[in-house]
Amino acid sequence: MDNSLWITLILCAVATLMMRMLPLIWMQRHLARRKAAQAVEDMPTWLSVFAPAMIAAMFGVSLIPSDPAALDSWVATAVGCIATVVVWFFTRSLGWPVFIGVLSYGVVFVLV
Amino acid sequence: MNTTNTIKTRNPFWAGTQEAIPLLGGYIPVAISFGLVSVQSGFSVLETVLISTLVYAGASQFLFVAMIAAGAPLWLVAIMTMLINARHLVYAPNIAIYLPPSKWWPWLMHGLTDQIFALAHTRMPHMAEESRLGWYTGAALLAWMSWIFGTALGAVAGEELTTRWPLLGEVMPFALPALFLVLLAPRFSSRLWTLTLIVTITLAFAFKLSGYPNAAIPMAAVCGAIVYHLMKGVLGQGSKHDG
Repeated sequence: MDNSLWITLILCAVATLMMRMLPLIWMQRHLARRKAAQAVEDMPTWLSVFAPAMIAAMFGVSLIPSDPAALDSWVATAVGCIATVVVWFFTRSLGWPVFIGVLSYGVVFVLV
Repeated sequence: MNTTNTIKTRNPFWAGTQEAIPLLGGYIPVAISFGLVSVQSGFSVLETVLISTLVYAGASQFLFVAMIAAGAPLWLVAIMTMLINARHLVYAPNIAIYLPPSKWWPWLMHGLTDQIFALAHTRMPHMAEESRLGWYTGAALLAWMSWIFGTALGAVAGEELTTRWPLLGEVMPFALPALFLVLLAPRFSSRLWTLTLIVTITLAFAFKLSGYPNAAIPMAAVCGAIVYHLMKGVLGQGSKHDG
């Protein structure tokens, strides 16, 4: 890579880090000000709703298989999701539902 | 989740590492693809690994190498990378309330990817405050290392791997939707949240299917938040998970 490309890479890396870091510093100051004013330490309401909505959006996006035209991927996705929810319902844990979900997805993907 | 109390007794770093293991199913196959694409676009193995180490943001890395390979102006590459990563602006403020004081937190935000955010936002409220730094460090470090490892593997032997085990690359990425589903499941506890989440999931799904993969997450999340606020008066407050 030539120098200009390296500079672009560093710029992208620093900008990405700043986008992750600066909002934290802003929020920590906001919380500190609230604490100093003896107010309840809370975050803006819109933010508290936005976070689960972001996770839901990530889920929606991740549901689409790499080849959306392939029916077997959709069937496997549906079975994988059902298996994940069923195992979560009984275990209320993190690892097992994901493991069984992936396993079910894989089995259906191979069989269908 | 039933792991709430166990984190108090286990080493938090290892607990975080263990809870981030499901992420590897999604990270490694995508990182292998990135390594392969990057080398095919003319970057060396070292440059490819450095991109993954320093930028550490999947979609923008693919865009970075694709635009440079296509001869796009560098200022445009930088702007597009930042635009794709703009969704990260809302992640840290959402977990800030759970973070105990430490000078390390700002630097640890380098590891705050979509998946680590989702995991941290769901798990941190359920663990002792003194465990959170170790837990987050363990989870974020494993995810980062797996991304770097996958990239290096893809850059060195990606072509052979995808030819020899094509099924692995097809099946393992399902770990991500499965993980997101587990993180969301406890929120389907009130009509308001159920409606909000279903609308958000459907919109994100539709946006991506319509050919807007990068806008899908922020757009659907904004729409979901609007639905929540509009329906709050009709359906009443959500569950204990509110805020």
